[in-house]
Amino acid sequence: MTPKPPSRVDLLRGTLDLLVLRTLLPGPSHGHAIAKHIQRTSEELLQVETGSLYPALYRLEAKGWITASWELSDKGKRARYYRITQNGRKQLVAEQSKWDAFARAMGLLLKPADEEA
Amino acid sequence: MTAFFRKVQWWLQRRRRESELQDELQFHLSEEMEERQADGLPVDEAAWAARRDLGNATLVREDARAQWSWVLLEQLLQDVRYGLRGMFRNRTFTALAALSLALGIGANTAIYSFMDAILLRSLPVTDPASLVVVKWRSGPRDRVNPHSFVLRSADGRFDPDDSGVTGPIFPFPAFERLRRASGPVLSSLFAHKPAGRLNVVIGGEAELVQGEHVSGNFFRGLAVVPAAGRLIQEDDDRAGAPPVVVLSSGYAQRRFGDATGAIGQTILVNNVAIAVVGVAPHEFFGVDPASSPHLYLPMRATSFLLHDLGEEAYIDPNYYWVEMMGRLKPGVELSQAQSALSGPFAQWVATTATTDRERANLPALRLEEGAAGLDSLRRQYSKPLYVLLAMVGLILAIACANTANLLLARSAARAREIAVRLSLGAGRWRVVRQLLTESVMLAALSGALGILIAIAGMGLLTALLANGQEGFTLHAELNRNVLLVTLTLSLLSGVLFGLAPALQATRSGLMQKLRDRSVSAVGAGLRTRRLSLTQILVVAQIATSLLLLVAAGLFVRTLTNLQSVALGFNRDNVLLFEINAPQAGLPQARIADFYGDLQRRLGQAPGVRDVTLSHASLIRAGRAHGLTVEGRPTDGTRVLWTGSRFFTTMEIPILRGREIVESDRQGALPVVVVSELFARTYFDKADALGRPVEIGGSLRVDGKPLVFQIVGVAANARYGGLKGNPPPVVYVPYAQVPAPQLERVTYAMRTESDPLGYAAAVRRIVHDADGRVPVTNVKTQAADIDQTINQEIVFARLCSAFAILALTIACVGLYATMAYTVARRTNEIGLRLALGARRGGVIWMMLRDVCVLTMVGLVVGAAAAVAAARLIESFLFETKPNDPIAVGLAAVVLLTSALVAGYGPAWRASRVDPLTALRHE
Repeated sequence: MTPKPPSRVDLLRGTLDLLVLRTLLPGPSHGHAIAKHIQRTSEELLQVETGSLYPALYRLEAKGWITASWELSDKGKRARYYRITQNGRKQLVAEQSKWDAFARAMGLLLKPADEEA
Repeated sequence: MTAFFRKVQWWLQRRRRESELQDELQFHLSEEMEERQADGLPVDEAAWAARRDLGNATLVREDARAQWSWVLLEQLLQDVRYGLRGMFRNRTFTALAALSLALGIGANTAIYSFMDAILLRSLPVTDPASLVVVKWRSGPRDRVNPHSFVLRSADGRFDPDDSGVTGPIFPFPAFERLRRASGPVLSSLFAHKPAGRLNVVIGGEAELVQGEHVSGNFFRGLAVVPAAGRLIQEDDDRAGAPPVVVLSSGYAQRRFGDATGAIGQTILVNNVAIAVVGVAPHEFFGVDPASSPHLYLPMRATSFLLHDLGEEAYIDPNYYWVEMMGRLKPGVELSQAQSALSGPFAQWVATTATTDRERANLPALRLEEGAAGLDSLRRQYSKPLYVLLAMVGLILAIACANTANLLLARSAARAREIAVRLSLGAGRWRVVRQLLTESVMLAALSGALGILIAIAGMGLLTALLANGQEGFTLHAELNRNVLLVTLTLSLLSGVLFGLAPALQATRSGLMQKLRDRSVSAVGAGLRTRRLSLTQILVVAQIATSLLLLVAAGLFVRTLTNLQSVALGFNRDNVLLFEINAPQAGLPQARIADFYGDLQRRLGQAPGVRDVTLSHASLIRAGRAHGLTVEGRPTDGTRVLWTGSRFFTTMEIPILRGREIVESDRQGALPVVVVSELFARTYFDKADALGRPVEIGGSLRVDGKPLVFQIVGVAANARYGGLKGNPPPVVYVPYAQVPAPQLERVTYAMRTESDPLGYAAAVRRIVHDADGRVPVTNVKTQAADIDQTINQEIVFARLCSAFAILALTIACVGLYATMAYTVARRTNEIGLRLALGARRGGVIWMMLRDVCVLTMVGLVVGAAAAVAAARLIESFLFETKPNDPIAVGLAAVVLLTSALVAGYGPAWRASRVDPLTALRHE
């Protein structure tokens, strides 16, 4: 078993879409790889539940932000690969700037509180 | 939009998508497993870990699928499929529930279609909402001296009530005055006047047809477009203008084949040739839903058809006869128009008063909504319809309660199924939705059946209401409004009766249901909580049924009371029909001879025992003249103009003197026969024979009343309806009535056998006498009487049917409840029997429950019946609203039916085999 990370952060509502889109930006990937990528890149802080990943993928597909096709994986198995679309990129940019603003606001609000304490 | 199409596409390929999803998750699983293996786990542990990591695979699939499909729709289809299977499996249940609901829905739809036709439907003209009806209202008329009122004579009705008099009729000069004053508020003000039935001859064939006199701006004011030709215009409506006529579309079609064929034809109306210039549109029926005229005649140009007054009618300010409607100008409110017009009318009407008493009680103008046309039908039928609507509403309530009860019983049987669903993770709302889908399906099925029942019911109701009357114009139809109401009713009742059982079935504490299957049955019996809802429903059904049974009892008693009213004449084997010779163009001087000759011809026909005539049939007559006995007024005395042998034909005994004979004619000594009541009232014990009676009013000759000598006293007979005390009656020979007074007469023919079998012979004989004269209103004397108590007959029959319906539905409900209780208590009963309980005791134990429920229902229902009966008091005749016989009988019928319904299940309970019952667990 993989060692448990010290503390795990629950994904904020709505951020999974952003993470999936960001993960797909460099190139197509399948569901399992997406989950693993998010997990690893966040230093195991973020754990993507399979139960929410696949519904999210289908939701993004339904919105037209990603497309899917069956391809062979590097190990030679048939896997469903997801690819970001033009609309998906636009959405990513929008979501990202929203997130940046949010993060900045949170930082601004929380930092002074730290200083006082 | 593209997202939508993608969804549609996916939904169409959902089977493929399903397997792809399966593959994808499989791939995920194998990747995960490989990874764990790479981390050093053994194969089987890696597989377990991967599976754990994936979690509930079915749920993942469900959630993923939710993204591409319409879950709600899919689940709905699933529920519908499941529901259909369930309905088919429980055919008896479905049939019972659907039928009882369908009866409720059908009855409601049928009654509502009549309400729609009578109370709610607008006139089929442009912008009906802007139409107004003009009326007047005055204080109560002076009873002692009714003539101290500016309305000195009238042609048309006006309605006195407790606080005053309302009338829709005006003098013609008032119409002209108001027309001038209405400019600022009304775009038009038009007049009309029912012409009654006119004698129309087309191609030598005579018939009586409803006519309407209209002002020149009538059609333009209503914004009606002709189906052919032109409608009546201002130019047609002048004194001296050549008379023209516009036909209704239906009449033109019937008599000329089609609308265009009628244009330019000449028809004889009351023996005057009039040219047809146009045909009204198909949907147009005039302004009064109670009558649909077929002839529209310009008011001024055809005054000869209107009344005997001639030009005088257009000038006399105290002769009330014209009805008026108007159309509001855009943006003008009804109240504004009323205040704008009431001033000029008040001014005008003040000038028509000549005495202070007249001036003290002048009519004031008022406007009413005119969208639905005149309100004569509404006044006649609205109250009965509301009563009927309340009854069918109650029936629907019983049917809903019944279905809810059946569903409750069934949901108890399905408790385990539902508990399993809930424990496997189905949401409560999801299960409630499934149960609701099933009840709404049941309701939809019932609604569809209900429409069929409604169609049959409407036909039946029309026949009942018309009861053989000629020219019955009311027709209800299943229009969009009515169907919408049916749909709403079905869905609403589906949700109503489905919701309670659904909520109850999914209530928490389910695990218990799963665990103990029948523990609750032991000793719990009727005292558990679920049953208390069932009990309430049963009690409500019984109470409501009692209400309807009592109503039925009251109406049936009213009817039997009416039917057992002593007539004073023999109604059996008498044929009645009407003849109107002057209208057909016979000269005044020949009328009496024509009628007498016809009487002789009819009397010679085979199978005819006696023939006579009177100005109207006894039961419909209502004629009063200023009649005095040696100078004393005789208030309330009624007059009947009769032919010879009237008393022999009607079998009214002559107590003293003689009856009217053929020689009592013009030129002979004027004689009358009086009723016993008249003789007793005005001559006390003295002999009435030979005493004089003076008849004034319209029988005045040279300003002096005609003097008649009493030659006979006849036994009392009903006159003018079955209700109330019969009036004193004076029978005057029609042949001694001054000729201009003679119009329509009703012949009465006593026959050997079924009177209707003589109708053809009558038509032939009358046609032989004069081809221009049509025979109308052919019916038996019995039917004639029944028509006067039509409302009572309709109420008695409908209400009995409704009560039987309610009783049946309530009994089905009771039966189902008891059968369900027995099923639940099988163990307990088995135990009791094993411990030595007697079978009779078991039956009684079960029936006791029935009795308790029924008694509670009876008490509640009786209280409600006493409270509600006051609403129908005005429909009753010599029956008190809390008639003990009606209430008692209803209670006995209900209790008996309840025991019969409960006996089956109770008997079955007593046949329970103790061994089987105990082994059951």
